[in-house]
Parts: sequence; structure tokens; C-alpha cells
Amino acid sequence: MPSVSSLLRLSVVVAGAALALSFPMLAPNPYILSAGVVVASYAVLSTSWNFVGGFTGYISLGHGAYVGLGAYGTGLLIIKAGLPSFAALLLSAALVAALAVPIGIASLRVRGASFVIVSISLVLILLLIFQSWASFTGGSNGLVVPRPFPGLRRPDHHLVFFYLFCALLAVALLSWWVIDRSRFGMGLKAIREDEDKAQSLGTPTFAFKLLAFVASATFTALGGGLYALWFGDLDPVFQFSILTGAYMVLMALLGGVRHLFGPLLGALVVGSALEYFKVEYGSTQLHLVATGLLLAAVVLFMPDGVIPALSDVYNRLFRPRATSIREATAAELRSQEEVRG
Amino acid sequence: MLTFQSVILGVLLGGLYALLAAGLTLYFGVMRVVMIAHSAFLILAAYLAWYFHRETGIDPLVSLVGTVPLFFVLGVAMQRLLISRLRAATLTMMSVLLTFAIALLIEGLLGYVFSGTQRRTQLSYSGTSLDFFGARVAVVKLIAFGLAAAALLGLYVLLKASRFGLALRATIQHREAAQLAGIDTNRVAGYGFGLGLATAAIGGTALALDTTIYPSLHWHWIGPLMAIIVVGGLGSVPGAAIAAMLLGLTQSLLQLPLGTTWAQTVFYVALFATLAFRPQGFFGGRLAQRF
Repeated sequence: MPSVSSLLRLSVVVAGAALALSFPMLAPNPYILSAGVVVASYAVLSTSWNFVGGFTGYISLGHGAYVGLGAYGTGLLIIKAGLPSFAALLLSAALVAALAVPIGIASLRVRGASFVIVSISLVLILLLIFQSWASFTGGSNGLVVPRPFPGLRRPDHHLVFFYLFCALLAVALLSWWVIDRSRFGMGLKAIREDEDKAQSLGTPTFAFKLLAFVASATFTALGGGLYALWFGDLDPVFQFSILTGAYMVLMALLGGVRHLFGPLLGALVVGSALEYFKVEYGSTQLHLVATGLLLAAVVLFMPDGVIPALSDVYNRLFRPRATSIREATAAELRSQEEVRG
Repeated sequence: MLTFQSVILGVLLGGLYALLAAGLTLYFGVMRVVMIAHSAFLILAAYLAWYFHRETGIDPLVSLVGTVPLFFVLGVAMQRLLISRLRAATLTMMSVLLTFAIALLIEGLLGYVFSGTQRRTQLSYSGTSLDFFGARVAVVKLIAFGLAAAALLGLYVLLKASRFGLALRATIQHREAAQLAGIDTNRVAGYGFGLGLATAAIGGTALALDTTIYPSLHWHWIGPLMAIIVVGGLGSVPGAAIAAMLLGLTQSLLQLPLGTTWAQTVFYVALFATLAFRPQGFFGGRLAQRF
């Protein structure tokens, strides 16, 4: 029989999913709905990022590269190769997965600082290439991606893509959950805690890291490709942006990288805040200031994220027995265990 | 002749890269921190020099009198108040994020205060150039190089000849051993940070002399600089200087056949080649792979 806490958790998840799915009905106008699509896409991206960042502790600031590659791959396959929209999306993600293998082999050889440097460099180099190679990518003039459903009116277009992003998010969350409970996930988490020990205990660390890296890149590319189909207009400056990567890291860290729903929670907070800033302050650079301040605050004060910070407070207030100094005797504890079991 | 011109320009550019990479190497050496905000401070210093010149009409080089001490103090404060608060276990990763946040903050504030408009310092000698064995070299580029070379030389003398330099090098080599020898490594690390940021102040002033500046310019500098310190071997000042000269020269030479944008990719090619074949860097640097 499932315990109370797991029932509670399940009901929270169901309620959250129901709330998310009914969001289009609650949204007062198409603009809010489109903001919802953006937030959903951020949730997909930060959850995808968490396959590497959360499990292995390798913090990539350059996941914007895979967003851009997925988006441009999808757009170019539709325009240049004449593929149907969603076939192009899947093929593009498969191509990014193939590309992520050599990139992963090169960058996962080094740890810590060097890994971050490589991840940032990748975005910068791809930005250079996609801007310069204008004959193929459209360069700074942008690339217009044809819509998958030309007959749909704009609000319905947002509606369809909101559900598509939710479906992708569900797949990503489910995959993360499955990995989290598997031997593979155990190995990845061992890498996060102490890579040398994990290796000496026989975990194939390099293969595990690479697999997680490729999975993360693939989901990120799917998110980017879906965004391309939704938004329909690509510009290298926005697709290959360090900022995108920074947002993913910020969202995941804010929510808590060790938790399944951490990045999703972070995406809800940061994504909504970003959309709000866009409306209020438009083209000023204040959103950069806000992002910078928030990121610095998270790194300095709650590097484990909101979820552990809140559950700490909850435990301190409502479950005083969870403190390290036991106030109950061993016999009392045993009797409590019997009552609970 | 054009090639000779490129070589000269490459050396001049390499000098500036070398100074800035030396700053990055100092941060990494004392704290194992990759300071993403280094180039943002560079652009900040360039803006301060430009603003100083616009408001007072005095030569922007004079602004160094103010920016160098200011940046030194900022660097010490940053290390003491922010970086040293991070947990030791995740210091490298978290400091990257923290300095990245600072870079965003600087870029955003520059954009907010000075707007995104491109700025350029107009000086009486902006257009003047010298004839150097048939190559034409702009005076401002020479001044920038001279400034960078003098600062680098000063840094070298400070590190090699002073007691503080000895303490700093000891801290870089082995922190615990330095502590056992009676060095206050926290204070030394703070000063190391200050020195690093001071190089950004000097580099930024040099940059303001002959470059059009805008708030997001720092992204064009951080990539090459990080590539330089990886190629040079993280933590090695001479390695960074050699790598800076070589890559600056290569970039300048490739600009002729390939154009400005593609020539920039040389840094990333060198970065990936280094990681593929010699992750500890090509010039010295035993530290790299583990950090």
C-alpha cells in the first residue's frame, strides 16, 4: 500500500498537470497564451539541461548551442530538403544527437572550468558560423520557417503548440524520472559526488557522462526545433545566445537540480518574470540586470535551489523531530516506526 | 607588404590579448576561478575612459589614474566578499556562474546608462599613423600596445622581484604549503584578484583608444581570451602570453584571406585542438585537467 506522502506527491503532480493543461482555457487573451508557450518551452529546455547539470554536476553554459542547432536544423530541413515539419523536427534532433557525440567526447575529457569554457565557446563559434554563412542559413536577415498548420488562426496555433510543448515536457520529465531510479542514474549521481571514486569502483564514468550529455542535447534540440516551428522566424543572435544557456542554468538551479520538478518550477518563476520584463521594460537592458542579480543571489544563497530551501524551512517548523539531535529515545522511535508502518 | 602589415598588427593585438590573458590567469591561479566577467570589466573600463574623455576633453589615458586603483579595490572586494563565500567543493562551477552573473549585470547596466549605441573616442591623433618599414601603423594601436607591454612588464617584475610576488606565486603553486610558510593566502588571493582586474582597467583604456565600443562587445573578447588561457595551460602566465601572441598573430594573418569573422574561429579551433590532443595546454600548466 502506498504511503501517505507518496499519495500526496502523486496528487500534487496530477493537480499540477491538470492546472497546466487547463491553462489555455484560463488564459484571458492570445498574448498570455503565447507567453505560456514561451514558459512551457523554457520548462522543456531547463529540464533537458538537467540531464547533464543535475545528474552529473557538469554545468554547461552553452546549451543554447543545441537549441539553435535544433531550430536551424528543423528550419533548414523543411526549406532545403522539403521534409514535412515534424519529420524535419525528429531528423534534426537525431542529427544533433549524432553531433553531440564528438562534442561530448572532446569536452567531457576535461572537468570543471575547462568544460564550461568549451560549452561557452561552442555557442560563440556557432553564432559566428551561422551569421557568416549567410547563403545557407540566411545570416542576420533571419530564416523564415513555414508553419506546420497553415490553416490555423493564431490563437489556435498557440494552443496546439502549448500542448505540444507540454507533451514534450512530459516525455522529458518521465525520462528523467526513469533515469533517476535506474542503475544508470545511480552511476551518474556517483560522478556528481566524486568522479574519481565512482571510476575506481567500476562505474564506466565516461560512457555514462557521454550518454547523459547526448540525451540532454537531444531533448534540448527537440525543444529548439519545436520553438522554430512555433515562432517561425530564426535569427542567429537569438538562437545561438549565451543568454539562453544562462536562463536554463538559472531556472534549473533556482528550482533545484536534484529534483525532478526543480527546473520546471524554476522555469515557471524565471520564464514568467522574463515575459513580464519584456512587457514592462521592452528593449531596455534591465532584464539582463535582473537576470544577473537573480543568478548571483541563487549561487550565493541557495545553490541547492528553492525546493531544498523550502523543505528545510518546512522541516524546521513542522517536523522538529527531523533535527540531528534526537529528543526521543531509541525505544520511542521504534514504537513510532511500528505505528507508522 | 600586406602580409608584413598583418604581422605588425597581429603583434600589436597579441600584446593586448597577452595582458588580458595574464589577468585571467591570475584569477585562475589564486582561486581556481574562471572569471567570465573579465571582459565585461574590460568594456566597463573602456566606457569609463570614453565617458571621461567626452565629459572633460582630457586624453582618455589619464582616466587610468582613477580606473586602475578603482578596479584593484573592486577586485579585492569581489574576492573577499563574493568568491570566498562559495563552498569549496563546488567553487569552480559556482564561481563561473557568479562571474557570469556579474558580466550580465555590467552589460545590462552599461546598456541602461549609456544605451546600446556604438561609441567611439575621437582624438586629435586618431587618424595619424606611422610608417614602419613600409607598413602603416596607427599611432593609437602603438600606444595601446605600449600600454599593454608596460603593464605586462610591470606585472612580471612585481611577480618575480617583490616579496609579495613571491607570496603570490607560492599561493598559486600550493596553497596549503604557502599557508604553512606563514603566508596569509586569503589576503594574497584578494590582491591577486585586484591585480587581475587592474589589467582589465589598463586593457579597457587601451581598447577605448581605437575601437568602437558597445555593451555586448565583451562576448567577442571572452571567447578568445578563454581559448588563450586553455591553450597556454590554465594557470601559466608565460604560457598565456605565448599563446596570446601566437593566436593574435594567426588571427591577424588569416584576416586577409578569410575576412574578420572567419578569422576569429582560429581561437576556437585552437581550443578544441588543445582539448583533443593536449588537455593540459601546450605551454606549461600542470593544473589544467583537474580544474
